[in-house]
Amino acid sequence: MKAARLGAIVAALVLAALVAVLIVSDGDGDVGARSPLLGQPAPAVSTTTIDDQPFALARRKGSWVVLNFFNSTCVPCIAEHPSLVEFARGESSRVDGVELYTVVNDDADDAVRDFFTSNGGDWPKLRDADGAIAVAFGVAKVPETWIIDPNGFVRLRIIGQLASGVLESQMTRLRETSES
Amino acid sequence: MSETTAQRRVPRRAAWLVIIVAAAALLVFGTVREGGPLTQQDRIDAVTKRIACPTCDGESVYVSRASAAESIRAEVARQVGDGVRTDDEIVAYVAERFGGQVLLVPRATGLDAVVWILPPLFTAVLLGALWLAFRRWRAPSVATATRRPLLVALALVVVVGVGGGVLVARQSGQRLPLETLTGGIEDSTASLLAQARLASGTDVASAIELYDRVLVTDPDNVEAITYRAWLVMLSARQFDDDLQRQAYGASVAAFGRALELEPSYVDALCFLGIVVFRDGGDAESSREFLTRCLAGAPPAEVKGLVESLLGEVEAALG
Repeated sequence: MKAARLGAIVAALVLAALVAVLIVSDGDGDVGARSPLLGQPAPAVSTTTIDDQPFALARRKGSWVVLNFFNSTCVPCIAEHPSLVEFARGESSRVDGVELYTVVNDDADDAVRDFFTSNGGDWPKLRDADGAIAVAFGVAKVPETWIIDPNGFVRLRIIGQLASGVLESQMTRLRETSES
Repeated sequence: MSETTAQRRVPRRAAWLVIIVAAAALLVFGTVREGGPLTQQDRIDAVTKRIACPTCDGESVYVSRASAAESIRAEVARQVGDGVRTDDEIVAYVAERFGGQVLLVPRATGLDAVVWILPPLFTAVLLGALWLAFRRWRAPSVATATRRPLLVALALVVVVGVGGGVLVARQSGQRLPLETLTGGIEDSTASLLAQARLASGTDVASAIELYDRVLVTDPDNVEAITYRAWLVMLSARQFDDDLQRQAYGASVAAFGRALELEPSYVDALCFLGIVVFRDGGDAESSREFLTRCLAGAPPAEVKGLVESLLGEVEAALG
C-alpha cells in the first residue's frame, strides 16, 4: 500500500516537472536556426563565381561574410530579394561592410544572371555545381542565410525567407557582441 | 528428485551452456570482424543507403532524386574518391551538417541506444520467463522451495539481455561525429587555421605554432605558408640585423612558394609587397606587388595595410 502511494507521488512529481519544463521553455522563438556549425570554423569553401572569378571563403577573413543560398525559381528567394538588395546598399556605405555572396543552388548561370539583371544586386554569385557547399553547411532547402565573422567562425544561420530588416538587426547585434 | 532425472539434466544443461556460449561467440565475432573490401561504387551505395534524404519522407539518399539528396550523393562520392574518411566518418560528416534525423540506422549512444538494447533484452527476458514457466509447470515444488536460483536466473537474463543489446548496438549503430577514430582531416585543418587567425592578433608565437601544425598535415597549404612567413617576419623585426636578414630571405622564399602553388593567392603578393619595401627597401618592386595585390581583392584586413603603405611607397619613389 505504502509502495503504491510512493509510486503515485513519484509519478505526479515527474509529470509536474515535465509540465514545468514545457511552460518555462521558450522554444525556438529566435531568428537564428540551430546548427552544429554555430561557433565553429566555417567549412572550407572553394569555388568560382558565375563570372569565373576564383573564390575561397578562408580568404575573406577580416570581413563579415554573409552567404545566401539561392535559386532563381524559388518563391521565398524571390520574395526576400528586395531585403537583400536593401541590406547590401546599407552595408556598402560602411567601412567594415559585410561581404555578401549568393550561393547558387541547383540553377543555371544564365538564369541567375537574368534574375539579378532584372531584380538588382551586384554582389558576387558563387557556383555550387554539385552541391558541395550546400552539404558542407547542411542546407537542404533554399533560401538559407549564414553569417560568418571576420575570424572565419559561423555566427548565425537563418532558415527560410528573410523578413525585411532582419539581417540589419542581426548584424548590429553580432557586431556589438564581437566588440564587447 | 530421482537419479535418472538428475542424470538427464546434466547433458541438457551442457546443451544450454553450449548454445549460450555459441551465441555469445557469434555476437563477439560479429562485433569485431572486419568487412571485406568493396569497390568505390559499393561504398557509395552502402553509405547513401544509411542516410535519409533531408527533404523527403522515408526515402534514403540512395533512392531519392531530390536536389538535396543529389548533393549529398555527390559529396559521398567525392569523399569516397578522396579515400580519406571511412564510411562511418562520411555518414557522421553528413549527420553533423544535417542533424541526426538523417541517420536511417540509429546511433549506438545516448537515448538512441535504447533502440538497439531493448530487443535483445526483451528476447532474453521472454526466454527467461518461458524457462521459468516450464520449470514451474514441470516441478511446482521447486519454485516455492528456494528463491535464490530464481534471482540468479533473473540476474543472468538481465545481464545477457543488456550485454547482447550493447554488443548489437556497437556492431550496428552509427558512429557519432566526435567518435571518429581519426577525426576529419579537412575539419582539423580548417579549425587550426581559424585558431591561428584568431591568435595572430594577440599571440604571434601560438599562431606560428598553429600554422606549423597545419603544414605538417598539409605542406602545400598556401594560407599557412604565407601567414606563417608574415608572422615570422614581424617577430624578427624585434631582433638584430642578422636575424632579420635570415627572416627576410625565408619570408620572401615562402611568399614565392605560395604564389607558385596558387598564383591567384593575393595575400602572398600583398605581404611580399610590404616586406620588400619595409625590410628590403625596394620601393620599385614593392609598388608592383602592392598594385597587383589591390587588383586581386585582398581580405579587408590586408587591404587596409596595403592601402596605407602604398602612399609611402609612392612618396619614396618620388
